[in-house]
Amino acid sequence: MSEFEPKIVSFLCNWCSYGAADLAGVGRMEYPPNIRVIRIPCTGRMSPKFILAAFREGADGVWVSG
Amino acid sequence: MITNAEVLDVEGEEGNFKVSIRKTPRYIDPAACTSCSDCVEVCPVSLPNEYDHGLSERKATYKKYAQAIPGAFAIQKADKAPCRLACPAGLNVQGYVQMVGQGKYKEALKIIMEDLPLPGVLGRICPHGCEDACRRCEVDSPVAIRDLKRLAADRFDPREVEIECQPTRDEKVAIVGSGPAGLSAAYHLARKGIRSTIFEALPAAGGMLRVGIPAHRLPREVLDQEIELITNLGVEIRLNTPIGDELGVDELFDQGYKAVYLAIGAHKGLSLGIPGEKAQGVRQGVDFLREANLTGKAEVRRRVAIIGGGNVAIDVARSAVRLGAEEVTIVYRRSRAEMPAWEEEVQAAEDEGVKINFLAAPQEVLTQDGKVVGLRLVQMKLSEVDSSGRRRPIPIPGSEYDMEIDQLIAAIGQRPDLSSLENVMGIEFSRWGTTEVDPITYATGREGVFAGGDLQTGPWVAIGAVAAGREAAESIVRYMDGRDMTEGREPIVNENPTYRPIPPHQAKADRAKMPELAVEKRQGNFEEVELGFAEAEGQAEAHRCLNCGYCCECYQCVEACKPHAVTLETHAQQTEIIELQTGSIILAPGFEPFDPTPFDSYIYAKHPNVISSMDMERLLSASGPTGGHLIRMSDHAEPKKIAWFQCVGSRDLNRCDNSYCSSVCCMYAIKEAVIAKEHAGDDLDCAIFFMDMRTHGKDFERFYNKAQDSGVRFVRSRVHSVDPIEDSEEVSVRYVREDGQIETETFDMVVLSVGIQIHPEVAALAERLGIEMTEGHFAKSGSFQPVMTSRPGIYVCGAFQGPKDIPQSVVDASAAAAAAGELLAEARDTLTRSKEVVPEVNVINERPRVGVFVCHCGINIAGVVDVQAVADYAATLPYVEYVNTNLYSCSQDTQDSLTEIIREKNLNRVVVAACTPKTHEPLFQETLINAGLNKYLFEMANIRNQDSWVHKNNPEMATAKAKDLVRMATAKVALHQPLGEAELDVNPAALVIGGGIAGMSAARSLARQGYPVHLVEREDNLGGQAHAIYRTATGEMVGENLAKLIQEVESQENITVYRNAELTKVEGFVGNFQSTVSVDETETVIDHGVAVVATGGRALQPEEYAYGEDPRILTSLELDRKFIEDDPSLADVKTAVFIQCVGSREPQRPYCSRVCCTHSIENALELKRRNPDSQVFILYRDIRTYGEREYLYKEAREKGVVFIRFSLDDKPEVSVQNGQISVTVTDHVLGRPVEIGADLLTLASAVVPNASEKLAQFFKVPVNEDGFYVEKHAKLGPSEFATDGVFLCGIAHYPKPIDESIAQGQAAASRALTLLAREKIYTSGHVAEVQPAMCSQCGVCVSVCPYSAPSFRSLEERFWPGKAEVNPVLCKGCGLCVASCRSGAIRLKGFDNDQIFAQIFSLDEAV
Repeated sequence: MSEFEPKIVSFLCNWCSYGAADLAGVGRMEYPPNIRVIRIPCTGRMSPKFILAAFREGADGVWVSG
Repeated sequence: MITNAEVLDVEGEEGNFKVSIRKTPRYIDPAACTSCSDCVEVCPVSLPNEYDHGLSERKATYKKYAQAIPGAFAIQKADKAPCRLACPAGLNVQGYVQMVGQGKYKEALKIIMEDLPLPGVLGRICPHGCEDACRRCEVDSPVAIRDLKRLAADRFDPREVEIECQPTRDEKVAIVGSGPAGLSAAYHLARKGIRSTIFEALPAAGGMLRVGIPAHRLPREVLDQEIELITNLGVEIRLNTPIGDELGVDELFDQGYKAVYLAIGAHKGLSLGIPGEKAQGVRQGVDFLREANLTGKAEVRRRVAIIGGGNVAIDVARSAVRLGAEEVTIVYRRSRAEMPAWEEEVQAAEDEGVKINFLAAPQEVLTQDGKVVGLRLVQMKLSEVDSSGRRRPIPIPGSEYDMEIDQLIAAIGQRPDLSSLENVMGIEFSRWGTTEVDPITYATGREGVFAGGDLQTGPWVAIGAVAAGREAAESIVRYMDGRDMTEGREPIVNENPTYRPIPPHQAKADRAKMPELAVEKRQGNFEEVELGFAEAEGQAEAHRCLNCGYCCECYQCVEACKPHAVTLETHAQQTEIIELQTGSIILAPGFEPFDPTPFDSYIYAKHPNVISSMDMERLLSASGPTGGHLIRMSDHAEPKKIAWFQCVGSRDLNRCDNSYCSSVCCMYAIKEAVIAKEHAGDDLDCAIFFMDMRTHGKDFERFYNKAQDSGVRFVRSRVHSVDPIEDSEEVSVRYVREDGQIETETFDMVVLSVGIQIHPEVAALAERLGIEMTEGHFAKSGSFQPVMTSRPGIYVCGAFQGPKDIPQSVVDASAAAAAAGELLAEARDTLTRSKEVVPEVNVINERPRVGVFVCHCGINIAGVVDVQAVADYAATLPYVEYVNTNLYSCSQDTQDSLTEIIREKNLNRVVVAACTPKTHEPLFQETLINAGLNKYLFEMANIRNQDSWVHKNNPEMATAKAKDLVRMATAKVALHQPLGEAELDVNPAALVIGGGIAGMSAARSLARQGYPVHLVEREDNLGGQAHAIYRTATGEMVGENLAKLIQEVESQENITVYRNAELTKVEGFVGNFQSTVSVDETETVIDHGVAVVATGGRALQPEEYAYGEDPRILTSLELDRKFIEDDPSLADVKTAVFIQCVGSREPQRPYCSRVCCTHSIENALELKRRNPDSQVFILYRDIRTYGEREYLYKEAREKGVVFIRFSLDDKPEVSVQNGQISVTVTDHVLGRPVEIGADLLTLASAVVPNASEKLAQFFKVPVNEDGFYVEKHAKLGPSEFATDGVFLCGIAHYPKPIDESIAQGQAAASRALTLLAREKIYTSGHVAEVQPAMCSQCGVCVSVCPYSAPSFRSLEERFWPGKAEVNPVLCKGCGLCVASCRSGAIRLKGFDNDQIFAQIFSLDEAV
């Protein structure tokens, strides 16, 4: 279990969280590289189907932020 | 945008100003800077980060904060550091000290060797005038600069430093003398490509460095190595080759040398001029040292006396000790304090057993058989100060005495031996026996002959000779090139240099001291005494440097900057003066937070856990020094109890001069307390100590109530004192409650809620500009011209106009823009240029041909991610036709080549794997447009900000992530379609609803700027509520000003006024509204592009406090009416009572009406003016005279108005009995009921909005619980709605006084103008689109859209009647309707389901 590395898919709002993730880079904050970001125009765009699809593809976690 | 700029002067007048601006350079080219921060990595200069209030550090090359605009970095510089100015050779001391501090010894040497080829030598023997100039002396003791130079040379062999030399030329130069001047000249000539031959009379090179300085101070191998580095450049040294009769200057020219540099030094000792000097056993110190240094030995006798007090005397003495002398005595005629020898040398000599006989002068050498046997001395005393700045010694008559000696060595000075030069034609000598030269060029009287070093100056320091050699080299090159030798070489004197201020609490740190060879090991050898710093010790010493010049000009950034945004040229940028022609000027210089440092009572400067609210903002910020983790500063522990003190630097004339209220502190303190609780958990005890709680902004009162509910303690009190608690991190707070009770509480942290004040520089600017200021040093403006200064054409906004919060600042800013624009309306569009359009290629139905461009971003991506591997991988992906990597994808040349490649390879989709679409998507889209592609056929993979920058310790995973992101982007881009951006004409007319102060201001501003305005007023006259108001807070009469405004509006030909009018129908959307106005049942349809809602508000009719039971019980406006009419009954008022918050701040109306406190106080004062003997009581809950309105409150108290506070649960009671009005209130100090018999009772009734659900529906704009319209953004969009094309001002937004209403009217006009002036609107391509066949007409999209974009088609329509459609003009592309559509009928172009699914499905192995 100690070797388990979760694979996380995140849907980030273009206007806030995606920008924040960019700023985390500008600040050279480090975080684990297990995350793949999909940019969406607004969390209003989120459809439950996207979350289900991500899980179906094998994601261990889905993070929607906006 | 002109940054780093200061306005010096403004000439001219309204419409035609000439502005002169001083622009300090950025030292980095913002156009080339990619904000990668590679320069920051290498910059050695750490400074406190002002943005984090000194709670973190930044470098001298920096960007103030992550979101700063422009995004380019900048370098902070001051004048050249004093150490550098003090150095005769101008060495970049700060630069090499910083490099040593970084352990970058090679880089340190490179900086040193720019000027000085002998770092190890001077690092030992330089008298370091730089250290005397070091500003560290003001803190403790100077930085050990010389020793750090030596450390660099100890740790890296200077011979290994690459020295850049220009191509070698044919001409040669002869240099006479191989001392520091000759060596330096040869070195600098070699760097300029000129070979030289050094003629040296002695058998070894080095001059005085070799023969004057003993090896225990300067080991021979150090000197040898550094001479070698010079000869390595092709310099030839001919030893044992003196200049004289056989080989003179003429002969050198004959041999073909193009120039001659004379640097023979000063090697001839001065004689004592006393009897017996010729005796055996008497010799010159320089001769003695020469012999000892060349041969390693020299005769010493048992008892040696040395005459002199300089370094030569000490060198002789210490050498004599080493050579076996038993008794060595230095005889010096002054005292220790006057000794020119360095103190450390004197100390070392004494340690080694040398005695010093102070205040003694030799009178005669005593001899026997021609040999020295003794010395007759006379005692001296010091008298007045002489020309050398030292006290002159004079002999004490009759004090002669003898000392027995065997050897006498004179070391009282030396001079050049001119015997070899006396006959050289054209060379002249001074009366001190030195050569006369031009002070700048070092040219002698003879053409082609230059001289320098001790030969020219007399005995001086080696570094001076080095400088002279360098200057001579420059002259010689110019001489040989036939150029002007003096041009640009005049010394620049800066009499008032500016340096980085020494931090007020700079910690002291001891100067490092080098280890030394033990005294007992020094006998009989010349081993080096000073052993050099260990690395750690030296680096710590280097860190003592205060970085006086900020940037140390080490130029590490120049090497690190791959896009060449910072170069030696940008480093040399100079301050420039720019002149601008402008028609109007807006001042927005902002404020500075009050600095509590000087006020001992707050112990802010002394206690780490007493911080300012600005510090607290940074501590709470996620991007702050602790990442938002709340800690107390002393021990970084999480605090359990925090206190806020309000009104620090505000409402206070005793401790500071700011008697105004800063307006914002109450609200931000509550916000900080609430956020602190969010960050640290509910257990955190937050207490706010305040006098009056001023939450007068929109929704602020609710926030205050919520904070109380969430447990924030509000303590109405006056803080008596704050004291540190011994042996504890906590502080003790003593305060007095309202009822007089004294309490003491301890807190982990105290936050001082500091106020707003105007920076002295801003005040100075205002003075230069000739604008009037208020008592509080804010720019003076009028209630009816709220953003205009006293100088026409100059406008003001933000906190410089008065203390205010963000929404009000934004309102002012828009208003100032409108006011400035009104003046410039005629010039609109006269300076615009249009762009050439490249025809778009049709790619529909083509197979995707994707080009993938992977960016290195210098080392920003490539340093972590394997860019080539990503590119190779991209080439294997479906539809990818072309892959390339770029060093900087955003550079102009790459943009050009991208355009070419797209055309050449016939690409129809593009992926750039680089930084982030947030900053660079528009740039690359522009490239696509230039290549003839639709800009929506583009996608970015964020492999920098969200990859290489955040996974730098995990390159493999980062590379894998980059591949995934490229794969996902490629999968998505293949599904992209070209998207259109519809173009729409904007109708230039505006509709303004409401003819009150705000509406009229908006209408007037739009009309003045040339746009037709339809002003709709429900009443039969313009002016609204303002008709009922007597005076403004600043004393202007409302009536006459209102009349002027109405007259102007009515006479404006661009304005059509509709009185008794009602809006009955609104159709259309931004740019093209059709509204129907009904006047007396006649309907008019108005076409307009924008609408301004200014429907205002009115006073609440009170239902309490016996209102209506007695004619002497009035509302505030009714009292105003009496003032306006000059009602004679006012003269009879003996006792007047005002009750505040009538209907405001009540559960059913939980907002503050903002205007009533000021209004009542102004009216109370008016009563006092009319009848000074009357008694006036104001019964209040909190007095909210924000900003400079506070002066009124103060005046009222001074004039004897009595203020009694009541609370919501114990409101005053009013009864009317037998014609008597009686008011009973519980006195807040006494805690007892007080009964006041009043003959005038004024109720400050709430301001309520003229709510209109109908209007809200017409324009699809929201209304809040209190009936006020909801603006687009509480802070940043206060004067507009989220619905495009509809704007908001006045009391319809929130209760506000006249000045703020007018400002917001202008602001709404300004915002509207940004649309009108464009003439056309372009929609985004990323919009939602309904597929009507699938639409079930459920209406969810219509109800969820915040922008009112979806609607139903008319049932009469021929196609798809009743189905939903999305207006692309209003759609913001958020996709809410898409996700909400239960029929799946709506697509979002550019973020369609298939495109997002393509990204999800191509996650593949990533998940």
